[in-house]
Amino acid sequence: MTDRVSVTIDGAQVSVPKGTSIIEAAKQAGVLIPHYCYHPSLHSPAVCRMCLVEVEKAPKLMPACVTTVTEGQVVHVNSAPARQAREGVLEFLLANHPLDCPICDQAGECELQDYTFQEGRAAGRHDDYPKRYNPVEEFGPDVLYVPNRCILCTRCVRFMEDVAEDGVLNVSERGDRATIGIFPERELDHPWAGNVVDLCPVGSLISKDFLHKARAWDLDRTASVCPGCTQGCNITVDTRDNTVVRLRPRANLDVNRHFMCDEGRMDYRWMNRGDRIEAPLVLEGGRHHAVDWDTALERFGQATRGGSGAAVVLASGRASLESLGWIRRLLARYRVTAAVQVPMGNEAPLAGVPGLALRAERAPNAHGARVLGYDAPWASAVAAAGKAALVVLVDVTLTAAEAAGLAGAGSVVVLGTVEAEAWARAGLVLPVSTMAEEHGTWMNRDGRIQRFQQARAAPGMARPAWWVAVGALEVAGDMADRPTTAAEAFAGLGAHWPVLAGLTYEDLGLSGRLASPPMAEAAR
Amino acid sequence: MLSRHFGDAGARTFDGWVQRGGYAALRKALAMKPEAIIEEVKASGLRGRGGAGFPTGLKWSFMPRGDGKPHYLVCNADESEPGTFKDREIMRWTPHQLLEGCAIAAYAIGAERCYIYIRGEFTEPLRVMQAAVAEAYAQGALGASALGSGTRIDVVLHRGAGAYICGEETAMMNSIEGRRGNPRIKPPFPAQAGLFAMPTTINNVETLASVPHILNRGADWYKGLSLSNPKSTGTKLISVCGHVQRPGNYEVTMGTPMKELLFDMCGGMKPGRTLKAVIPGGSSVPIMTAAEADDCLLDYEGVVARGSMLGSAGMIVMDDSTDLVYQIWRLARFYAHESCAQCTQCREGTAWTTKILERILAGRGKASDIDLLLSLSESMTGKTICVLSDSCAAPIVSGIQKFRSEFDAYLSGARQPALAMA
Amino acid sequence: MSGTPHGHTDTPHAPVFTGNIRTRLDALFPSYPTRQACLLPALWMVQEERGWISEPAMAEVAEVLGLTPAYVKGVVTFYTMYHTHPVGRHFIQVCTTSPCNLCGAEAVLKALLRGTGCGELGATSADGRFTVTEVECLGACGFATPIMINDDFIEGVTPERVPGILQGYK
Repeated sequence: MTDRVSVTIDGAQVSVPKGTSIIEAAKQAGVLIPHYCYHPSLHSPAVCRMCLVEVEKAPKLMPACVTTVTEGQVVHVNSAPARQAREGVLEFLLANHPLDCPICDQAGECELQDYTFQEGRAAGRHDDYPKRYNPVEEFGPDVLYVPNRCILCTRCVRFMEDVAEDGVLNVSERGDRATIGIFPERELDHPWAGNVVDLCPVGSLISKDFLHKARAWDLDRTASVCPGCTQGCNITVDTRDNTVVRLRPRANLDVNRHFMCDEGRMDYRWMNRGDRIEAPLVLEGGRHHAVDWDTALERFGQATRGGSGAAVVLASGRASLESLGWIRRLLARYRVTAAVQVPMGNEAPLAGVPGLALRAERAPNAHGARVLGYDAPWASAVAAAGKAALVVLVDVTLTAAEAAGLAGAGSVVVLGTVEAEAWARAGLVLPVSTMAEEHGTWMNRDGRIQRFQQARAAPGMARPAWWVAVGALEVAGDMADRPTTAAEAFAGLGAHWPVLAGLTYEDLGLSGRLASPPMAEAAR
Repeated sequence: MLSRHFGDAGARTFDGWVQRGGYAALRKALAMKPEAIIEEVKASGLRGRGGAGFPTGLKWSFMPRGDGKPHYLVCNADESEPGTFKDREIMRWTPHQLLEGCAIAAYAIGAERCYIYIRGEFTEPLRVMQAAVAEAYAQGALGASALGSGTRIDVVLHRGAGAYICGEETAMMNSIEGRRGNPRIKPPFPAQAGLFAMPTTINNVETLASVPHILNRGADWYKGLSLSNPKSTGTKLISVCGHVQRPGNYEVTMGTPMKELLFDMCGGMKPGRTLKAVIPGGSSVPIMTAAEADDCLLDYEGVVARGSMLGSAGMIVMDDSTDLVYQIWRLARFYAHESCAQCTQCREGTAWTTKILERILAGRGKASDIDLLLSLSESMTGKTICVLSDSCAAPIVSGIQKFRSEFDAYLSGARQPALAMA
Repeated sequence: MSGTPHGHTDTPHAPVFTGNIRTRLDALFPSYPTRQACLLPALWMVQEERGWISEPAMAEVAEVLGLTPAYVKGVVTFYTMYHTHPVGRHFIQVCTTSPCNLCGAEAVLKALLRGTGCGELGATSADGRFTVTEVECLGACGFATPIMINDDFIEGVTPERVPGILQGYK
């Protein structure tokens, strides 16, 4: 059993495991100790000096990030000496830091701004001494370095060296001439390098992709999961006026710690596509006609109610558990062959975090889909579709050949987002929302079920695919308890898939939960 | 004792050193138990001569015993503290005195290897030490079986490359490891996890050079060399520079009056000049007025009693022709140049205070600059990984406290600017 | 991208650590438990051989010691004695820190700038013979003013002695 230690921080007593740092113990006490160079996913150098706290009986102020708690310790984070020390650090940082706020991307989410407002001096005393100047540098495909704003916390250097294990950054020079440096002919092009922009507490390392795109206070932020691969990194989707402008990692110590890969980070533009189908379409007289949902669901329900024989479902690897589950429920009367589309790519691990990598399977719910029975090999499912009575496509992209192969199918129903050639013969084309436009869950490669949330409004009349399936089921008269929310849709899956039995959105929270019994896949 | 053979070229060679009584202490030590050597050094009262004054025997006793890990001794020959130039003399004239001390210390702390970190600019001491090390190996005093004892003692000379901060013991370890010379946070302490994460002791050249004498003549003898406070024992090499007739190194017994050193041994001020100020411990200590120097005793406690610190005992003497504000500015510039850049207060504070002092010297200072300097100095004191920041603040604060009129003269325009602003 | 203003030529970098020099470096490895610890000595070898440490040389040292080039550069730029661009044949360092400052170091510095024809600190004289720099405490405060010319440590320099000293360096 680990020993626990009892400490008092700003009057609040907490009990923490032996070896905990004061800064982490303070979090438990509900006290955030201001800091820059410290980061829970990096080794701490205690150089910024911002986290100095008063510890009774200690002769000097102690850096909370590297001082471990001792039994009975009494710590003052907001006593006069501690606040004065922080005020001093802030003043020194602002001595040469340019007043770039009006043109700096970090404004509104900047820790130098935040702490200065909180407890900095009202006015600087550096007067009209010229500030240190160095030109902006391009560090890599996406990262710009603005030396003038740099506070030399060295998080970026430590991340690249210790976590990415690609030591392309250094601290160059000495004293107040020091800056972050990169070796000529080298770039910050590591697959996980974009994390340095998040790590930078100020606007010194910035993303070219996000440059001057939006102000932090204009953004809506939604907790979600990256749709890039089966790792399932937790992310935040930043939107402005219903447009996704940025993805950032969200902390989850069990999945991705504080990081996400560049490929996932940069792949959000598809969420803003304007070429979406916005109304349900029925094929009549060789043409698609827009109809309302009642009509569309009536058609779909009737078709499946009287259905029998073989049905093939080809589903996107991004389709949610809710959608995949309820579609299978809808097709219960058929002999179903179900497959999930999983694009493949190169794996790119983050060396310093065991178990974290950009995975070869570029689909967030590949594992979840297979658990729900979407386990047929893709090629054979496509082949079977050509002879099936009913083919349901769930937001998949087919090649011309694959699309042509559907010619022999009885009927084709498309639940889709962006118009495609394959639908020319589809009897029903039903607009569905993407993961950015709905609530849902995925199961990652470790068997962790995680929630993603709606970050923008779905276009037109698009609805979640599970809602479409439920609507059709209702028409078919097969609904006892009709789920009206994603949460209910999820809860309803447990009746048919024991691995999900008894789980609710509340259980999952925003960090997800491992399926029980554990359902991690062997390495794919 | 330490300086006896300064100027004596014959003392440089192995044979010459043996003739002068050398390596007898090492032979004696190798026949003792390491614990016994540590006790002897403890009893002698020897304290670190590099500036911190930490009891040497106590520092050695922090090293773990029987832990099975490689132990290291590091000899700090980085000597970069302004005003200090004693260690170079020990190395230039009596390299074997140092080697013998290193070997004894290494054996006492269970280290098979000693790294001697010599600052890059000390090209002559490096050459002399290289020759001495080669000789010591050839004569079997160092190597797999030092003096035939069966104990391995290796010495590696490691050359620095221009960084005052590498004289800080943890920065020195980083420098030896092939890193930027950044001081480390403590804990862990060197004796637990130091060089290459192994138990390490770092000692100054003068400290180690004292060790053979303690072994030869006994702790009691060394302890007896104390004119004032029994906690300060032995002799101290004081480097006197600046405005005296005879600058140089003077070995004095602990507790010798500063007046005696400056006015007798060093011949006093230049003709027509009076003493204005002294910085006794290398530049990183408070400035002393002539009045404070007048009845100051040269040992650790004595200098503290007069408001400063003995430090490395690099004594910078300033007569009444000195522009103190100018010299304080020059010192601040030194610290700004040498800051490693890790801690915010040091990185920015050393440079900022330098700029303020420069402006004052250029006749563009403001009345509020004095309070600003004091305020920044307080922010720079007691808040950083190492004390370079505090060292920059010390001359500024003491200068303002004790020589305020000199600052006022620039601020009021009574004194013409000493600098032109760019 | 950061780059050095001088000495960045198109001629490919000829490796430093071959033959005798490589042998000397290899002989150092047993003295340290890590290759990284040989970094400062290796950089000295490069500077002794080439007069300065170019970026390709840094990359070479990095490869030989199993470090990254950026790491090596970070170390090189920390220590002031390593030159990151070519300097005059005779590199002069003059101490002007307070103890020497009190004893006329600035006059010595001015005399050297004049005597070498360098004109300003850090610049190399037109004939490539000298570079004069101002440095911090050289550890010879009692023998003011000390200067270094390459590896030669000369004490007690005064403005009067400067011409005579410079004559010895062609």
